[in-house]
Amino acid sequence: MSTNATIMLWTEKYRPQTLDEIVNQKEVIERVKQFVKTRNVPHMLFAGPPGTGKTTTALALAHELYGKYWRRNVLELNASDERGITTIRERVKDYARTMPIGDIPFKIIILDEADNMTADAQQALRRTMELYTRTCRFILIANYSSKIIEPIQSRCAIFRFQPLKDEDIAERIKYIAEKEGVELTEDGLEAILYVAEGDLRRAINTLQAAAALGVVNEKSVYRVVGRASPVEIREMMELALKGNFIKARGKLRELMITYGLSGVDIVRQMHREVFALKIPEDAKVKLADKIGEINFRMVEGADEEIQLSALLAYFSLFGSQMK
Amino acid sequence: MSRPTLSYIQLWVNKYKPKRFDEIIGNRNAILEFRTWLEKRLKGANVKKAALLWGPPGVGKTLTVEVAAREYRLELIQMNASDVRTKDQVMRILGMASLYASLTGRRGKIILVDEVDGMSGTEDRGGLAAVIQLIDQSRFPVALTANDPWDPKFRALRDKCKLIRYDRVRTSSIVSFLKKICLAEGIMADERALKFIAERVKGDVRSAINDLQALAQGRRRLTLEDVKWLSMRDRQFNAFEVLRRIFAAKTCRTAKIALAQSTLDYEMIFQWIHENLPNQYKSPIELAEAYEALSRADVFLGRTKRTQAWTLLSYVIDLMTAGVSMAKKGPYRFTKYQFPEKLRILSQSKEIRNIRNEICSLIAQKCHISRRGASSEYLPFLKIIFENNIEMAAGIAKWLKMNEQMISYLTGDNEKTKQIVNLMKKK
Repeated sequence: MSTNATIMLWTEKYRPQTLDEIVNQKEVIERVKQFVKTRNVPHMLFAGPPGTGKTTTALALAHELYGKYWRRNVLELNASDERGITTIRERVKDYARTMPIGDIPFKIIILDEADNMTADAQQALRRTMELYTRTCRFILIANYSSKIIEPIQSRCAIFRFQPLKDEDIAERIKYIAEKEGVELTEDGLEAILYVAEGDLRRAINTLQAAAALGVVNEKSVYRVVGRASPVEIREMMELALKGNFIKARGKLRELMITYGLSGVDIVRQMHREVFALKIPEDAKVKLADKIGEINFRMVEGADEEIQLSALLAYFSLFGSQMK
Repeated sequence: MSRPTLSYIQLWVNKYKPKRFDEIIGNRNAILEFRTWLEKRLKGANVKKAALLWGPPGVGKTLTVEVAAREYRLELIQMNASDVRTKDQVMRILGMASLYASLTGRRGKIILVDEVDGMSGTEDRGGLAAVIQLIDQSRFPVALTANDPWDPKFRALRDKCKLIRYDRVRTSSIVSFLKKICLAEGIMADERALKFIAERVKGDVRSAINDLQALAQGRRRLTLEDVKWLSMRDRQFNAFEVLRRIFAAKTCRTAKIALAQSTLDYEMIFQWIHENLPNQYKSPIELAEAYEALSRADVFLGRTKRTQAWTLLSYVIDLMTAGVSMAKKGPYRFTKYQFPEKLRILSQSKEIRNIRNEICSLIAQKCHISRRGASSEYLPFLKIIFENNIEMAAGIAKWLKMNEQMISYLTGDNEKTKQIVNLMKKK
């Protein structure tokens, strides 16, 4: 294992610094390289599932464009963390005021999770983008391009990132394991691919956490994943269906507090798990319908704990009627 | 033979309900006035056909009528005014009773219309008119109760009734009544504790008994210390009372009033209701219905806040009080309420949440991800690493510039935290 000084999170340690190192996404990378060659960059929208290299591509692009000055010419913002569009606008304004360093006449602003912005905020963002086009180029990053308003889409070059293929992830995982001196078994690798679902970040995090336990094999991977993606969600649903509402609600709170899971995370996992429950098929459909309704209420801005409790109460009622 | 165990705890207000006039505490004159009127009315003397007993809650208005029925051997026909919406309903429920002699062979009947001020303006106009018609036509005495009958819309009704005013009951009377209950329950109670309870309720005997039950049930002794914490946690105590009133309400109106009359923040009460729903409602259907109401209230609350259209708040209130209360399929069940877990956790684990948020901020800076993403994509893995591999943990902690508190949050273990901190110092 590597020495103390170089231990860090492997997702960062092995984040590609150049465009050439980026796994898969050949079409995207080819086009981006052209921008580097011409030293001109349009506004861009990177869309695709998590862990497919969107942020990495943006950072590598900046790296290649600015060389050693890259940090001073790139502003990274995350729409989920900034307090509303006003803060984003202020930060962009402040940043755009100063001239870029080096010979490229513009700076880059990376706005991550842009699809978490409301349509109104996106409209305001569009005006900001226009205002500073001369000195700044935007790279917007989103999971879904459809959640970005048309006027912004039409001002951006759109790049779609594909989910990574298992063989690409496998190659990268094997490379990291070798570099870190981790013993990785064949079934361990397969388990990682299975749980990663095309998300390289998750694959690497799983590898590192499993390596912390020793040999990376099927057993250690599932131990990690079992802890990291709570199987307790199914337990919670089963408790509710059995009519043990108070325990189910306790579980819910535990998930939210100790795992820091958001209500939306939980409701989505419930949706996934409901079809694996041992209940009649038509019951699954009815429960899924209710889960959808509760999900909608949360998206509308309702309180997550209240909504999920109501959902569990419905499960309890449903369970009592199934008997 | 041993007594069967009750599946639920009996309310002391019912268990110790007076059966004779001389057992009722306070309002001697009002009771005497009522008895005089009733005796004359039963003899057919020329008095008002109805009596309106009015005054603050919990002082014995309804109780007077109930005891009267027992003492004068009358059949009690009881209804809640809020149940009466239309003329038809009034006539159906009371018409039969008032026109025909009793089938049970008793001497007569007395008709009690409770909470007559619960009938509201226009929609109940028919109901109010029906009550007046009932008074006019009834062969039997009619008693009505109200907290506040002075709204102009009750003028016609007031004219038909003998008004009898009930006052708040004196603290000393309440104390001696509470003493009797404690004696019967085998509780050694410090008189100062009982006085403390009695003073708080401002003449409302029912509340005093309920409070005593909440505090003393299951205890052998009740000391001043036992009740004193109430003054420290006054707000919490008030919440007990508001909660009880909401859950016990028989009508939408009383449920809503319970909240309106409280000085507590509705969002706080919201948490109290959320916490205690599964304690109050044991049957799945009640629980699911109540939670659906609460969930809808919450949806309206979200809309209210988002649109800043505060008029929408009234729907929140409707659903969280009346909606939750009307989910019950039977009578109110005495329930021990709990302090909301969420409020407790919020105050207790604020520090812990802060630490977690700080860790997420550090990850977010280093790993090009949002704090939320850090929480879901990194934190679970970090926990595993910190719990199982101090070498790797020390390296990551150093790289992220974590402090000891953060490490301790991730390891959940003092010994490991120490080891990691030491490893970090070595390098």
